[in-house]
Parts: sequence; C-alpha cells; structure tokens
Amino acid sequence: MVNTNKIIFKSILLLSYLIITAVLLFLISSLYSYFNTGADRSKILHTKIKKIDQYLPKVTWLEDGNLGREMNAQTLSEIESNYLDAWYIKNIAFSTNSKIGVDAYYTESARKNIFNIIQANKKEKITIERTTLSHNPDIFLFSEDGQLVVLEDKNVVEYKRVFKDNKFILEITEIANYKVILLLEDGFWRIRHLVKESVSEFNKKTKASTPISKTIKGINYYPQATPWNMFGSDFDIKIILKDFNLIKTANLNTIRIFVPYKDFGKAKVSESKLNKLRKVLDAAEKNDLKVIITLFDFYGNYEVLDWTLNHRHVEVIVTAFKNHNALLAWDVKNEPNLDFDSRGRQNVISWLEQIILLIKSIDKKHAVTIGWSNISSASILKDKVDLVSFHYYEDKDAFEERYTDLKEIIKDKPLVLGEFGTTSYRGFWKPFGSSEEKQARYYKEMQAVFAKNKIPFISWTLYDFNKIPKEVVGELPWRRNAQEHYGFINKNGEKKKSFKYISKH
Amino acid sequence: MNLKNNLFLVCSLFVMLSITAQKTMPKKHDLIRIPLDTLFVAGSTIRLQFEGNTAITYQMYCANSYGSTLIESQRQGSRISFQIPNHLSIKSGILNWRVVGTKQKLFGTLNIVPKENPSSLETYIGPPSIEAGGIDYSILVVIPTDNLDNPLKQNTVVSIQQQFLASERNNLVFTKNLIAFKYIYAPIKSGRMLLSSESLGLNSKEYDVNVMPAIATNFTIYSQRNHTYADGNQITTFTSSVIKDKNNNTISDGNFVYFFITNKVGALLKTSGTTIAGVATAKIIHPDYEEDWSVKAYVLGMAESNTLKVKYKKVVENFEVTFLKNNRKITVGPIKSFMDQLIPDGLQVKISIYKNKKFLHEIIKSSREGFVSFELNQSIYKNGNYDLRISTAKVRKLFQSTALW
Repeated sequence: MVNTNKIIFKSILLLSYLIITAVLLFLISSLYSYFNTGADRSKILHTKIKKIDQYLPKVTWLEDGNLGREMNAQTLSEIESNYLDAWYIKNIAFSTNSKIGVDAYYTESARKNIFNIIQANKKEKITIERTTLSHNPDIFLFSEDGQLVVLEDKNVVEYKRVFKDNKFILEITEIANYKVILLLEDGFWRIRHLVKESVSEFNKKTKASTPISKTIKGINYYPQATPWNMFGSDFDIKIILKDFNLIKTANLNTIRIFVPYKDFGKAKVSESKLNKLRKVLDAAEKNDLKVIITLFDFYGNYEVLDWTLNHRHVEVIVTAFKNHNALLAWDVKNEPNLDFDSRGRQNVISWLEQIILLIKSIDKKHAVTIGWSNISSASILKDKVDLVSFHYYEDKDAFEERYTDLKEIIKDKPLVLGEFGTTSYRGFWKPFGSSEEKQARYYKEMQAVFAKNKIPFISWTLYDFNKIPKEVVGELPWRRNAQEHYGFINKNGEKKKSFKYISKH
Repeated sequence: MNLKNNLFLVCSLFVMLSITAQKTMPKKHDLIRIPLDTLFVAGSTIRLQFEGNTAITYQMYCANSYGSTLIESQRQGSRISFQIPNHLSIKSGILNWRVVGTKQKLFGTLNIVPKENPSSLETYIGPPSIEAGGIDYSILVVIPTDNLDNPLKQNTVVSIQQQFLASERNNLVFTKNLIAFKYIYAPIKSGRMLLSSESLGLNSKEYDVNVMPAIATNFTIYSQRNHTYADGNQITTFTSSVIKDKNNNTISDGNFVYFFITNKVGALLKTSGTTIAGVATAKIIHPDYEEDWSVKAYVLGMAESNTLKVKYKKVVENFEVTFLKNNRKITVGPIKSFMDQLIPDGLQVKISIYKNKKFLHEIIKSSREGFVSFELNQSIYKNGNYDLRISTAKVRKLFQSTALW
C-alpha cells in the first residue's frame, strides 16, 4: 500500500516536474522569439491604414451649383467618406440604441437630436435596422476657408425595418431629399444641420423583362475537376468549351452557372474573375447556349447593413454582362429558402426583393428569378420575379401533380424547373441505394412529364464529381457520396445510361 | 329525391351563410383620418386624430430629419390619436408617418417649419485674412437658427454690416438652402475689416477680417557705410526703400529680402534681412581688398530691386617683410591702413612655400596689431633654397631662392 502511494507520489512529482519544465520552456522560447522579431518599420509611422469596406451606398455627386470655393478631388473624397460614415454610424446607433461613435460625425448640437430619439427608443424597446442605398449629393456652397459645406442630398433611398420588443413591426423604403450643413471639426466633417425637405415611399414597381422565347432545356454546369470552384486557379476555358460542345450536341440549349460572392471579391469584384466569367459566356455563345447566372453563391449574411456591399457586387457583374448575347436570366440566389430558419424569413425575403430591384434597375432586358429549393417556396415574391424557378428532388411520381398545382397558383409567370436529378450511387454507405439503371429510368420518366406538360427544365448535373466542398453537403459520407454521383457522365468520363435521357424521353 | 333536394338546399344555404359571414366578419378596424393642418411650427404639440370605433392600440411609425420611432395610439372616446413626441416635433423638416396594421395604407407627411424669429446667428467667416486689391475674398456664412436649433425658413432676411476705414456698409441677403452668405471682397487698402450680422432684431457679435497687403512690387536699394575703404573691418548696411504692393500698401512685416552681391570676379555673396514697416535692412563686412560690387535685392519670386554699384578702395599699398632666425622667422608688417594707422586685427596674410618650383604648403594667419609672423620649422623645411610668396589684401611679394639654414 505504502509502496503504491510512493509510486503515485513519485510519478506525480515527476509529471509535475515535466509539466513545469515544458511551461517554462514554452514561456522562455516565446519571449525569445518575441525579442527576436524585427519590428515592422511601417508600423511606427502608422502609415498603413486599413480601411474595410463596410458601407458603400451608391453615391453620385452632382456638382453644378457650388457657389463657393472650387472643390478638389481630395477634399470631396474626405467629405464623402465622413458623410457616409455619419449615415453608417447613425444606422448602427438606431439598430443598437447606443451612442457609440455618433459624436465623431455629428456636432455637439446635432448629435443631441439623435440621442433624444435613441433614448426614447431604448426606453420603448424599439430598434430600427436601417441602411441607405443611394445618395446624390449636390454642393451648394463650399466656404472659401474650406471649413463648411452646404449640400443637398437628393433621392436618398432609405430602407428601415422597425422592431418593438424584438418583434418585427414594419419595413419601409423611403426616398427623401435632405439639406445638410457639414463643418470641418477636429479633422472630421461633421453634420451640423440636417433637414428633410421631402419624402415619399420608394416605388418598387418594376417592368417585366423581355419574355424568354425558347423552351429552356438546360443543365446545371460545373467542370468535372472543379465543382463549386469554377473560377478558381484551375480555371481552364478549353475544358469548358469542350463541355459546352458536348451539352449542345446533347440537344440542350441552356446552362446554369454559379458566381460565388466571396470568391469574386464581395463588394470589390475582381477584374480577373470577371474575365473568366466573360470567357465562359463567350464559350456558351460560341456553342449557341444560353446562360442563367446564379449570383451570391456561398453568401448567407442578408443583414441590412450588408446590403450596400451586396449592391456594389451585383452592380459590377450585371453591368458587365447585361448586353452579353449568351445571357438568359439572372438567378438572384440559389435556394435562399434554406436560410429562412437560420437567418430569418423576413431578412431573406427583403434582401431578395431589393436585390431584384437593383438588378432590374440596371438590366431591363433579362429575366430575374430566384432558385427556390422546393415547390412550396416557389410562390414567394412571385410578383417580383420574371421567371419562377424551383428545384425538385422529391418523389418523381408526385412531380406532375405538384407542378400542375403550382401552375394553378402562378398563372401569369413562366415556370422553370431549375434543378432536379437523382444519384446513381450504390455502395458501402448506401448498400440498397440507386443504380445507373434507376437513374436512367428517373430521367426517362421525368422527361416524359416535361414533354407532356411542356415544362422547361435544368437538370443536376453533367458530371459525377470527385471532391465536393463540405459547405455544400456537409461531412456525412453517405450524403457526400450520393452527391458525387448525380452526373450524366461518371468519374472516368464515360456516359452513364441516363445520358440518353438528358434532353428527351 | 325530396331528401336529396332538401339536402342540396341546406347545403347551398350553408354555403351562402358562410359567404355572407365572411363578408360581415369584423375585418381589421380601419381608421379614418380626421383632416387637420399638415403645417406645424416646431415645438408645437402635434396630435394626429383618427375616427374609428376600436379598442385596439395602434402603432404609428414616424420619422423626422434625424431618426424614426414608433408611437402608440391613445383613445379619446370614439377617436384615437397619436401624439408626436416632443423630440421629433421640435425639429424642422418633413415628418412622415404611417399607421401600422390597418387594412388600407394610412400614411402621410407633416411639414414642421422653424419658428419665425432667430435666437442665435451662427456665423462662420473665413479665411480670416485676405489680400488687399479687390480680387481676394472671404465668405461670411450666417445660419440664423431658432431656439430649437432649427435653421430659419428660406428667404429670412439677414443684414450684413461691414466697416473698413472710413466706409461703413450694410447689405441685405436672404437665406437660401439653410444659410445666408456673402462674399466679402478685399478693398484696395490694407487694414482690418469689422463685420457683423443682424436678422430680425437679433445681432451677432463682431467679427474681423484682416486685409493684408498684397505681394511686394519692385523697389530700390541703398547702401550706407562709414568710409569707402576695403579695410575688412567696417560694415556696409544695405537698406531698401519702403516696399509697397501694387496698391501702394506697405507690405507686411517680415518679408524676407535677399541682397545678392556679385564681385569683380563674378563670385556671389549674399546677405538678407526682413522688412519692418516695408524697409529691409541687411549688413555685410567690408572686403579687405579693392572691390567693385554690384548689389541686387530680391523678395524671392515676387519683386526685385535696381542694381547698386559699390566700390571699395585699396588700403594696403605695400608691406614690409623681415627675415630673422636663419630666415626661418618671417615677420610681415607693419601693415598700414589708409591713414597710416595699423590695420585693424584680423587681416589675412598668406604665405605660400615652393621648392624647385613645386608648391609645398600654404600658411594663413590673421594680423594682430599690424603684424603677422610665420615660423618655418626646421623639421619640415630642411635647409635649402625656397621660393616664398607672401600676399595680403591682394598685394603680393615674391622672395625667390631664400635660403633657410
């Protein structure tokens, strides 16, 4: 007994000795490496100022009425940056009911007006999520000493969503004209006076796009080697051209592709990514294929304060391709209804609505749609889209009936089945799963329904894939394996039995 | 058959009843706006009233220039009303409202106007100093605000008073885009301008703008010296005329004036001074040998002077040299100035030592009490014959093949 105690005691002693030594060694080594790290000289001077894009409403300066000192670009950009920050800080102040930062952008007498409202809202538990989407400031007077600016900000589009006791009360989009006086204080352009001169509700009516003449027979496309990463470093237009040729010869006329939001540079869209997308569209045009571009892939924030960043992203891409011959339609987002639970249904729908408005304000020709993941969501925002698209991965025998039901609800808008398909996977993870024959039969029967009801379709997908990012299907092997085998062409590049039914039954 | 008919009747009755029930079902209680002014003065109590027999508490969204909020309805008999909170109604501008949860959209705007009279005149003037001459200007901005800090309405009259020297002026301007402003042009003369503003009986405090003279124009320079000898000791003072701007204002104190001197051989000397009451003064020591200087002054980049010629007469005509201690101690002097007085201390004397036409060394010393002596060290200058050249005040003497032993 004594012996075991002794052994335990000894081993604890030894272990603690080891631990203490390890800790000491770690501390000394980190100290050593700290003192051996050279200081970055640029840090001393604070020359590197990292500015994150956090608020980028569309700003268009009109400059025809300035009666004072001539404005230079440098000062104008400082005024713009401070003025927008003033709105941004106000947006944050109203959504959190906190005063932080307001004093930097409003003079002492002006900030009181905001504080009073915030204080009352806080007491009543009212919060307001808000953003402004566009500003059109016009300078009336820039004082000769460069310390004061009087401007009118016309057609400020303000979106607000009001909550009380955390319960959604209303959302409202207003368009207002403001007159503003800004003073240069402590190096900041601060708002001294702000007077709303007129306001009305923002007109959300849009015009319908040019109708799509052809019946869509399409396929969702990713190159076999780079699924969900089509525009990465392995981008190879030759492979894409070859695939498009194959798609064309299979008697299809449309492809649906995906533009990842983050990969394309968020608010600052990368030129090289745009070029890659342009090459894809050119390749499609060469093969007489039409393209549905799905935006905002791998995006899931939807927060009101993120909208202006989303807008800059959309603006660049839509402007770049709105006149491309290969373009068929804009799909705002793939399966946004899957984010209803995590991000809030209201958030997602409002977000979709204003993105549609933006796309339609830039591109008046092409159809806009949303790739709903199921039939039951398809009627959301049906009045806003030009084309109702939905995905169907459920029981194939129920499809025809559910489609007809949907057709009853949405009479005035064309429908398209944006994704459908089935796996041919049978293996360790699904021993009684599908097979190539089953997959072929699925497509044969689905195509028969399409032919009978003249249903435009876009199938999922051309290839079986080797690697699927975990963001798409998660880590579970039975899901991942099934997802890898949705293609018409297997991993060895051979056509599966289903290929026969890629466009006809 | 009968039963079937009855059943059909009962069924249809049921359907009809349910339809009418649907129609008469109490729908959302709608409100009817009781028409009222939409124009209010800031700070007044604003109550929006609606007709509607309802027990529901409605909410109204309303937003003014600075922010938005929700307000709840209050019941007063058959009417319900919303009172716009004070912190919204005190700010001028458009206030828009919308009742939440009514079947028809109930919304509108109110126009809240600032009070009639100002309680403060926010005045900004800049730049605080401008250049005389009628081109440069300052801008005076006045924002008349009421006691709730709202800029007064468009076309409020503001009078701007100006005093400069003998003139006093009064101009009326009207507010537009929240402000009243006026260009204050610089007069021809320099001086201090006083300004103030007044609006509807309220006076501002006094503001001033310094009207500074414009840049210098060309000027003349003079020299002043005790005597004209190049003794290397006296000081010549250069002064400028009173430097004026183009409008005959004396330029501001502290303008830097450079005097550039070109000597006989084309070398440049420089001295400088700043202006006080328009006059710049600069000094320079006399040369120690005969010189012809031409002097020209500049206010850099702005103005220049005439060219002034200054001559300095030779003072040292000749000097004696004595050799002592095996010719190794060479004494130069006495060196005499223009009145045969000993030259003031500090005249440079130079001896250059050559051997076999080859230059060895040069020794420079300053005179003291009219004399300079050089000692040629034996360990440096071995015994032998040397050529010695001695010069001071541009007078040279050559001693060839002087033996040192």
